[in-house]
Amino acid sequence: MIAMEDRTADRPEDTVVRMVGINKSFPYVQAVTNGFFELRKGEIHSLIGENGAGKSTLMKILYGLYQPDSGEIFIRGEKMDKYTTGRAIRQGVGMVHQEFMLVNELTVAENIILGSETTKALGFLDLAKARTMIRKYIDTYHLDVQPEKIVNNIAVGEMQRVEIIKALYRGAEILILDEPTAVLTPQETQNLFRVLRSMREDGKTIVFISHKLGEVMEISDRITVMRGGKYMTTVNKADTSPAQLSRLMVGRDVMLDTRRVPAKPGEKVLEVKDLFVLGRRALSTIKRISFDVRAGEILGIAGVEGNGQSELAEAIAGLLEVQEGSIQIDGTEVSNQSPRAVRDAGLAHVPEDRNQRGLCKEFTVYENLSAVRTDDRTLTKWYWRDEKKIARYGDGVIAKYDIRPAEGKALAGSFSGGNAQKIVVAREVEMNKKLLVVAQPTRGVDVGAIESIRGILNDVKSSGHAVLLISADLDEILALSDRICVLREGRISGEFDGNNVDIEKLGMLMTGGDEGAKAAESAG
Amino acid sequence: MPKLPKVRGESLGTILSVVLAFAVGGLMILLMGYDPVEAYVELFKGAFVGKFSIGTTLEKFSPILLTGIGYAVCVQTKYFNLGMEGCLYMGAVAAAGIGLIPGLPAVVHIPLGLLGGILAGTVWGAIPGALRVKYNVNEACSTIMFNYTATLLTSFMVFNVWREVTAVSRTPIIEKSAQFTKILKPSRASTAIFLLVFVVAVMVWLVYKTNFGFKLRATGHNMFFSNYVGFDAKKTVFLTVCISGAIGGLAGAMETMGVFYCVWDNFSMGTAFDGMLASLIAKNDIRKLPFTAFVLAALRAGAQGLERVTNVPKALVTTLVPMIIILISVDGIRDLLGSLFQKKAPQEAQEGVQG
Repeated sequence: MIAMEDRTADRPEDTVVRMVGINKSFPYVQAVTNGFFELRKGEIHSLIGENGAGKSTLMKILYGLYQPDSGEIFIRGEKMDKYTTGRAIRQGVGMVHQEFMLVNELTVAENIILGSETTKALGFLDLAKARTMIRKYIDTYHLDVQPEKIVNNIAVGEMQRVEIIKALYRGAEILILDEPTAVLTPQETQNLFRVLRSMREDGKTIVFISHKLGEVMEISDRITVMRGGKYMTTVNKADTSPAQLSRLMVGRDVMLDTRRVPAKPGEKVLEVKDLFVLGRRALSTIKRISFDVRAGEILGIAGVEGNGQSELAEAIAGLLEVQEGSIQIDGTEVSNQSPRAVRDAGLAHVPEDRNQRGLCKEFTVYENLSAVRTDDRTLTKWYWRDEKKIARYGDGVIAKYDIRPAEGKALAGSFSGGNAQKIVVAREVEMNKKLLVVAQPTRGVDVGAIESIRGILNDVKSSGHAVLLISADLDEILALSDRICVLREGRISGEFDGNNVDIEKLGMLMTGGDEGAKAAESAG
Repeated sequence: MPKLPKVRGESLGTILSVVLAFAVGGLMILLMGYDPVEAYVELFKGAFVGKFSIGTTLEKFSPILLTGIGYAVCVQTKYFNLGMEGCLYMGAVAAAGIGLIPGLPAVVHIPLGLLGGILAGTVWGAIPGALRVKYNVNEACSTIMFNYTATLLTSFMVFNVWREVTAVSRTPIIEKSAQFTKILKPSRASTAIFLLVFVVAVMVWLVYKTNFGFKLRATGHNMFFSNYVGFDAKKTVFLTVCISGAIGGLAGAMETMGVFYCVWDNFSMGTAFDGMLASLIAKNDIRKLPFTAFVLAALRAGAQGLERVTNVPKALVTTLVPMIIILISVDGIRDLLGSLFQKKAPQEAQEGVQG
């Protein structure tokens, strides 16, 4: 067995971290069962698995955020007792979380030193010294960061680099990155990988949590696979293949390139005309775009994130003010109507941010599933919410969409990414509305859930509804869309037939590479 | 599947916190040179032994419970309503005014008085609510200002409009037909107490069983979610504030028509803040509020008795209340006490599991 071979490491003196027999449970969920993890100095070690496989939990234990129920942690051969985050940092463990933990109103430099400030006599901040140190990290690892900027004004990719410097500043030798590429564009991902490689050359050890196999194969030295909270195996990158890894992750072969279902486009369901919506940034302002979506088809909106995708979805859903133009759902004008009125006109909406908007984490699954059905007479008894009927309805939906664990009374906040997203998708699709707007439906979602969510979208289309799919995941757009519009800087920069896509051109239109090419041409 | 073990531990911890607070209070009484056992016996007697004591506890229970509910229901939508005191005064004044109308039968006069109080409280509560919903005026500031206004308006009514010839600082006694019958004489408790059962039942039903309550709680938990699924968050908040004001006004009307039969200048002295404390101790759960409000009422009544009978200053007992609150609101202490008596401490309950 591969697993046994790897447990007896060939260079035990290089082992910096060993976690053995780790168990961790939360109410309703056993997150990690007999977990095992071994890290060698100077490697980039990927920890992969589906959502809910226990990757983050195991690493949060290594960072001292969670106390394991049982199990042992050794760092450089020394057994850790009463292990806390403070101790982890002193042992040189650093972690960059999925959600960035930055104070938006402070500058980058202030954020980096916050909590471990270098001070002069009498406790005055020694910002100059801090800056020199930050500068050193920036130069050593080519981290493109502007220390004087306010965090509010920097891009997501830069925030991540700030988090990395923050960890380094606290003396991290072992750096854990929890799904760092989930928020990055392909270019930014490549930049991150360059940084990671230069850190490895400098002798740092890196744990890379991910479920994107392409990236894992590109960056890792070794790979540990987890499934259902259990340790599966650890392999050298050279000895494995994406196919083998995906089998290990999900326990079966996954067909990710979903076959596109033929479209039978009918009448226009969504009609957007000359839409102008002010964006959060200049780039993301929607600048007079027009398009329509017909019944029985999926229109994919491709593009690099931050080019107006969020604004478009929110404007349609009545969550963002429309300055000019019209949005019609099934002939009804819905621009600047209340979210409720838009829903009544025929909208179901899977928002891009399931944690903030899509789910009420403090509510149970039943409550979340029934939230859009407060007017449904079949779920009420006079003025009472009929808990029994709501539970029966909820159990039906949970079974139909295979939401796990099938525990309707559990709080939505206790579900992993994939299952949490299934709750949102199930709630919206069950409304059976003419138009379904889905934004980033499979972000931060495991392979199994991606497969089923994409299947659901195809079913919605086949049943004659219109689907507007907004996604930064180009593979997803290509796999599902009958037509593709590219959104760049708030404009539709191109349109493709889903059966006939020039990927290179599509990429150019997304990134603005076409303008670069034109400029080069005219210059030449 | 574990069935949310935290709930029991929490209640247990709350009770043990109260016990601990009494122990610390006893130590303080001892250090000041009094006999803590005697003091607590008298405290207990003052709250529960004899008609007068029980009556006084019940008399204090009513406004604490009602203002507590008013605060709790607003907090569920993340609206920090500190204005229950003002609603209480306005309700009391309205009831006092209506109570002076002569020649009405009791079946008309009593509902009319209560309704007047409810209406006054609703309006008084709704103004800061509207300011918040429409212009985003911070409700914590505006409601406190409205409290001052209400208190001073009451003083104005007492001293200028309905000035009693005897020169005491109160309004004239209301008509017999507007008075609730006294029970447990010689205390000031009245049959108005029975209204509480109805109010608690309605509010528990409204908040935890109806769609309105569902929207109300959703709005409090997550405004973004609430908007997105199509609830009108502003409308929900505003309606909740109105309901809360209505309950505050009712509490005031019940004080006038049940306890005093008139309005005294400054009669409340921060009763609504006791209500708020009761709500805080109950973690804003209306179902637990009757218990915490009752404990506070008993403490207040007991403190009065204690002062009458022993030398222990009332101020010392008054310090017990904040002590209990501190001990309970420090979650760590409460959870620790709760877990001491449970086999397995609930760990990181409700925490998300990711990755």
